[in-house]
Amino acid sequence: MSDSLANDSGDLDQDDSQEELMTPAELISSLEEAWLNEKFSPELLESKSEVVECVLEQLTHMESNLQRVKKGDAKASIHRMEVDRIRFVLSSYLRSRLQKIEKFFPHVLEREKSRGEGAPSLLSPEEFAFAKEYHANTETYLKAVALKRMPPNLQALDLLKAVPEPCLDSFVFLRVKEKQENILIEPETDDQREYVVDLEEGSQHLMRYRTIAPLVSSGAVQLI
Amino acid sequence: MDSQSYFPVPPGVGMEENFFSLDDILLSQERLPTRTECAFPRLGFLEKSADSQDIPEGTKMELPLWLSKGLYEKKRRVLSVELPKVYREGWRTVFNADPTVVDLHKMGPYYYGLGSQMLHFDNPENPEIAQTLLQTFIGRFRRTMDSSQNAYNEDTSALVERLDCLEKELFKSGQSGLNGFQSWEKGRTSQLTASTLVLNYRKRKIADVQP
Amino acid sequence: MDPSEVEFLAEKEMVKIIPNFSLDKIYLIGGDLGPFNPGLPVDVPVWLALNLKQRQKCRVIPPEWMDVEKLEEMRELERKEEAFTPVPSPYYMELTKLLLNHASDNIPKADEIRTLVKDIWDTRIAKLRLSADSFISQQEAHAKLDNLTLMEINTIRAFFLDSLNCMYKLRSNLQPGSATGQFTDF
Repeated sequence: MSDSLANDSGDLDQDDSQEELMTPAELISSLEEAWLNEKFSPELLESKSEVVECVLEQLTHMESNLQRVKKGDAKASIHRMEVDRIRFVLSSYLRSRLQKIEKFFPHVLEREKSRGEGAPSLLSPEEFAFAKEYHANTETYLKAVALKRMPPNLQALDLLKAVPEPCLDSFVFLRVKEKQENILIEPETDDQREYVVDLEEGSQHLMRYRTIAPLVSSGAVQLI
Repeated sequence: MDSQSYFPVPPGVGMEENFFSLDDILLSQERLPTRTECAFPRLGFLEKSADSQDIPEGTKMELPLWLSKGLYEKKRRVLSVELPKVYREGWRTVFNADPTVVDLHKMGPYYYGLGSQMLHFDNPENPEIAQTLLQTFIGRFRRTMDSSQNAYNEDTSALVERLDCLEKELFKSGQSGLNGFQSWEKGRTSQLTASTLVLNYRKRKIADVQP
Repeated sequence: MDPSEVEFLAEKEMVKIIPNFSLDKIYLIGGDLGPFNPGLPVDVPVWLALNLKQRQKCRVIPPEWMDVEKLEEMRELERKEEAFTPVPSPYYMELTKLLLNHASDNIPKADEIRTLVKDIWDTRIAKLRLSADSFISQQEAHAKLDNLTLMEINTIRAFFLDSLNCMYKLRSNLQPGSATGQFTDF
């Protein structure tokens, strides 16, 4: 088997030279981190569209190479297994985002609406379209099955109020990637006092998501 | 893998209610002992036991939670709501002594939910009620956890029959954690199955074709 | 998270194999592997090791800690200490299961190892429940959980986090006025 399957990381690095340089291996780990964070955070996190796009590019590239290979090639089967594994993570990541969009759609759309000019988008363009459509479908459905039969003054339904918001006070498990000092822990009961903790690199903790939410988006901690 | 195609909305717990939560809808049907503080003209038909056209002031009757909440106002006394027995001082003493002995299904089954909702009505005992609810939950936690994490592959009906609805949900999520791990350990998770949605769709298609 | 997803993560751990075939270096997206030469040990991820093993293309060398004496020591320590002791691998349970189920002929005293690891696991899970209970009854706001593995957290996650949530809501009842949902009309 030729080197056609070799992963031309050179190509890719040139493509997004404006981005920080990332080896394909680092790209895959950042996809896996995003996957776990998304799985465990109570709210929808910022979309990692560039990571998803780069991974997809890698996969298509690899798959088109694989099509040219003869049957029964030992290397090809190993490459295929790897591709399948990466695809699994990718779909699971995207699926857990869609589940959260379905769960919190009015709030997700509201946050997207109130987003300042230039602030990073919470949703990829596809997810945004999905959320809007889901919102419209839910409204149409509720109107058709119930609301239109109600007295006129009861026909309005505020989905923002009716659909529960993500609970940022949920507890999460996390592992520290970059040391953080003086994280303020708020008291749970009146007879407790607030205190601060240092998060050492590599240590694991259980605490409220609200306290460390900014550290999740900056990548300083990993949810587990 | 989590292949549920529909995620039910969980109950709000506490003073909030979730609009789309089936549990909260059922909870809102719970009946409360109330007393009218003014006359309700031309609503006599609601009170089956009396013949009069109006409901007079001072009538005692049971109203569902949703209606009591709707009619209750702090400033203008329309309705006063009595505490159900299980939240009164006598029972609170029992709960504070040993919360694990109480059959919360019989006393509830929405003990925590209804108790939290009762805090919407002005009552001098509200702080104690809230405190008892919290302490009861904490006091019973160990039992809920142990029973849900130890009962593998056995009939759990005896374990859950004394639990409140909320505890029952927690018991279920504990069981699914345990069962997930046990079947992984036995190597039973490796099989993928088609989603029921797809299967049903196929069936329907065949049914459509048949005359 | 499903246990099989935790296992999926464990399959990325590296393990040594002795191949019986030769193959040049493979340039995978996640990194390079090989070259493979008959009789020469080489590091590969567990998913590949098991695949090769199933096709009878290699012998798996068990990780150093997968050894009866070492595990016995660990079991004693785990039983003696009140806190969680450091584990040899963040995926010790998953790796034991994977390697013993698919390559037990390459692992000396496989059955004893299985029992020992299960003992260690049971001791740790009992500790985990104890800490969960005290976390709830003390109403703590933060806990340090070094040395806990993902699989261990995962067995209790849904139940424990849901319980903490319920407790949080019941506690917010204590501050009247903090509730936003005063007779919300939808």
